[in-house]
Amino acid sequence: MPYREKTAWLSLIAMVLTFGPYFTIVAMRSVPGALPNVRQLGLFAVAAIAQMLILGAGHLYLRRGSPQDARTPPDERDRAIMRRSISSAYYVLIVGMIVVGCVMPFSSSGWSIINAALVMIVAAEVVHYGVVVLSYRRQT
Amino acid sequence: MMEGSISNRIRTLRFHNGEMSQAELGQRIGVTRQTIAAIEAGKYSPSLEAAFRIAQVFNLPLEEVFQWDAKATH
Repeated sequence: MPYREKTAWLSLIAMVLTFGPYFTIVAMRSVPGALPNVRQLGLFAVAAIAQMLILGAGHLYLRRGSPQDARTPPDERDRAIMRRSISSAYYVLIVGMIVVGCVMPFSSSGWSIINAALVMIVAAEVVHYGVVVLSYRRQT
Repeated sequence: MMEGSISNRIRTLRFHNGEMSQAELGQRIGVTRQTIAAIEAGKYSPSLEAAFRIAQVFNLPLEEVFQWDAKATH
């Protein structure tokens, strides 16, 4: 498996393990809309820090496993896959930002808007890394 | 639009060049071993520059390494 596919898997797993529970908790209990909401902010901080820790430990582990691959700069196929994945994620992000920034302010406020924005950012990232993984799988 | 696919003789040419490894060929043209494997399997079409580099490694013209197999269209 190419090194860059492994790092894409790592990012996907870290995203699911951290923001999966975050959004589940947010969906299950009603979040007071008023800002600032320290408890909600704390929950988000826990998810973000957990993601950073998983990514840090994962990258360290992968680098130790194949230091040569980690040092190799991306080649033309890696760059083509990266371009495709970023352009796919861009569409998700732009639609999300239109909804969050232009539509939601008329009907929602506070943490509802923040969490909707987070959902769209996470969705765009999942599409980004998902396309990377799929592209490498198809070309292997 | 004309339909078709690109095939190549890289596996055979590597064999005839002292069983050159995919990693070695990749190193000589500046791509990873996995990219050479994908090109050989016809799952990735290299850039024109990479294709010329591969042909140069084997000291052959491009068309002896890569072939365009056109499909009959109505």
